[in-house]
Amino acid sequence: MNRRQLLAAMTSATLIASAREGWSQANTPFKIGALNPITGSGAAYGTGMQKTIFAAVDEINGAGGAAGRKLQVVADDDQSQPQAGVLAAKKLIEIDDVQALVGIWSSGVALATIPLANDANIPVMVTSGAPEITSPKINSKGLVYRFNATGEGFGQAFAEVCAREGFKRPATMAFNNASGVGTVEGFRKAWAKKGGEIVEAVVYEPNQPSYRSELQKILSVKPDVIVAGSYLADTTIILREWFQTGETQKWILPGWAANADLVRAVGADVTEGLLVVNSVSNETSSAFMSYDAAYRKAMNQSGADNVYAAMAWDMVVVLALAIEAAGPNAEIAAINAKIKEVTNPPGAMVSSFAEGKNALKVGKINYEGASSSVDFSATSDLIPDFDLSVIADGKINRRYIVKI
Amino acid sequence: MSVLVELFIGGLMSGLVVGLAALAITLVFGIARFPNAATGDAMTLGAFVALSVSAITGSVIIGGLIAAVMGVAVGVGAYVLVFRKLAGRSSVANLLASMGIAFFVRAVVGLIFGHQQQVFQLPLVRPWRVFDIRIQPSDLTLATVALVTLGAVFLVLHMTPVGRRMRAVADDPGLARVSGISPTRVMIALWAMTGSVSAIAGVMYGIKTVVTPEMGWDMLLPAFAAAILGGIGHPVGAIVAGVLLGALQEMSTPLVGFTYKIAISFVVLLIVLLVRPQGLLGQAEGAR
Repeated sequence: MNRRQLLAAMTSATLIASAREGWSQANTPFKIGALNPITGSGAAYGTGMQKTIFAAVDEINGAGGAAGRKLQVVADDDQSQPQAGVLAAKKLIEIDDVQALVGIWSSGVALATIPLANDANIPVMVTSGAPEITSPKINSKGLVYRFNATGEGFGQAFAEVCAREGFKRPATMAFNNASGVGTVEGFRKAWAKKGGEIVEAVVYEPNQPSYRSELQKILSVKPDVIVAGSYLADTTIILREWFQTGETQKWILPGWAANADLVRAVGADVTEGLLVVNSVSNETSSAFMSYDAAYRKAMNQSGADNVYAAMAWDMVVVLALAIEAAGPNAEIAAINAKIKEVTNPPGAMVSSFAEGKNALKVGKINYEGASSSVDFSATSDLIPDFDLSVIADGKINRRYIVKI
Repeated sequence: MSVLVELFIGGLMSGLVVGLAALAITLVFGIARFPNAATGDAMTLGAFVALSVSAITGSVIIGGLIAAVMGVAVGVGAYVLVFRKLAGRSSVANLLASMGIAFFVRAVVGLIFGHQQQVFQLPLVRPWRVFDIRIQPSDLTLATVALVTLGAVFLVLHMTPVGRRMRAVADDPGLARVSGISPTRVMIALWAMTGSVSAIAGVMYGIKTVVTPEMGWDMLLPAFAAAILGGIGHPVGAIVAGVLLGALQEMSTPLVGFTYKIAISFVVLLIVLLVRPQGLLGQAEGAR
C-alpha cells in the first residue's frame, strides 16, 4: 500500500466512523460493566450475580430499553482479588467503554477499582462491606453506591445477636482485609456501647496452610463465643481445626462465610449450633418475585440462596430507571444525579423497570427492590434488616430478624 | 511451654508441605537449571486428581497414589512437550514456559472442576493429649507420608543408577554428557520424580486446607523461599528450610502477632542469605 492509498483509506475510515456516530447517537446502547467474583473467595456468588445482571438487562431491553437506549453488558471476572479486579476494570473502562460498573463484591476489589471509575466519571455499584468505601475521601465524586449493609452494620447486628443470646466473653477473629477487619471493628464498637468487653482479638492472614496458632491464642482465654469476620475458605479450615481441638464454644459468623457450601465442606457435626447473621433480601416484595423467577431460570436454584444476586438485579434496574429519568442522550453525570431520586421517597412505589418507566411519565418514583427497599442514606449506603439463623443437622434455619 | 510446643507442631506440619513443594522446585533447579513456576499448579492438579479418585473409590490413600502416578505423567508430559524443546535455551525461556504451563493447568483445572472450593471428606477426630499437648492423629499420618516421600526421593537419588546419573548432571552437565550419560533419560526421570512429589505435596496441602484451582499458586512464594534458603538444588536443604521457616513463623507469633509472621520468614531468609549466600546446605559454585 503506498502513501496515497493509505491516506485515502484512513480518510474514508474516519468518515465512516463519524457518519455512524451521527446516525446512531440516540440509539447507542448504554454499556454496563459487570465486574463479578466468578472465581476466588466470592465464587459461590459471582456466577449467579453475572447471570442475574444479564437477565435484568434482557428484561429492561424487552420493555423497550431506557430512554430509548438498549442496555448492553460486558462481563469480566475480578477473581475476588484487587490486582485482577483492577486489570479487569481497566479493560472494561478503557477498551469496552462501559458507562457504569456493577456487581463488585469484594471490598478489596471495590477499594482498588473506585479510583479508576472516579477518573472515568462513571457510577460504581457494590455489595462490599468495608466501611471506608462510601467515605467522602474515597467516594469523592458521589459515584459509589453500596447495595448492602456496611461491615460496620454487620458488626452491629453481631453485637445485637451476642447480647440477645446472652454471651458474656466474646473473642474476635478477622480476615486481614477491609471487610473482615471492618466487620469486627463494627462489632467492637457496638459491643462496647452495650458495656461489653472483648476478651481476645486476632487478625489473620489469607492463604495460610493452617490457622492453628491463631486459634490457640483465641482459645487460651476461654471465650464463650467467637465472632468472625471471615470468608468461606478460611472459615472451612478454621472450623475444622477448631473442632479438632475439642473445644465447644459457639461461633457467630457472617452469612457469606457460613452457607450451604460450608456445611457441605465440613459436615453437620462441625457446623452444629453455629450462629449465622445475614442481610435479608426483601423477600415479600414483588421485585423479589421477578428476580427469583429470573434466578431460578438462570441458575436452577432459589433466589434466596444468593443475596448478592438480588442486589445485582436491583443495581441494573436502578441504573435503568435513572437513565430513563434523565431522559434521552443524558450525560452520565445527569444519570448519576437521578439514582437517589428514583430509589428514595417521595414518589410512587414501583417494583420493576416497566412499572417505573410508566410512572416516570407522571411524576417521581420510589423503587422498592428485590434485595431491600433501596433507600440510600446521605453516604449512599443502605440499611437492610438482618436475620439470625442457627445451623442444626446441616440445615440453616432462620430464628429471628435483627434490626439495627 | 506447651503453647510453644503446640506452635512448633503446627509450624512443623505447615513446613513439611512447604518443604515438599520446595523439594520439587529444587530438584528441577539443580538438574534442569531453571525455577519451575508450574510447581504450584502441578500441586493443584494432584489435589484435584486425588479428590476425584477418592470420591469414586472412597479411599484417600488410593486417591493419593493415583495422583502421584498422574503427577509422573504430567511431569514427563511437560518435559516431552515443552522443556525438551527448550533444552539449551536460557533459564529465562524455561521459566517463562513454566509460567505458561502453570496458567494452562490452572485454567484447565478451573474449567473441569469449577472454582468452588472442595474438600477431602475425612472424618474429623479429637486430638490426643500427651503431657497437656494436643497431638492430631491426622498430623502423624501426613508427617509419615512426607517422610516416606522424602525417603523415596533419596533412595532414587542415592541408591539407583539413574539417581547417580542425575546427580552427575546436577554437578556438571557438560562432564556428564562427555561421560556418556544420556540427558533425555535423566530428564525423564527428573520430571517423573518432580511431578509425583508435587502431586503428593498438593494432596497434603489439600487435605490440610481446601482445594481450589488457585491453591498451588498461593503456595509458590513460600516454597521458593524455602528452596532458596535451603541452598538451591539441595534436596535436604529444601525440606530443612521448609520446616525451619514454618516453625519459626508459628513460634514467633506470641511476639510479633499473626499479621507479621509471614514477614518473619523473609527476614530470616534475608539474614541467612547475607551470611551464607549459598543457602543453608548449598555449596558455593566455583567459577566455570
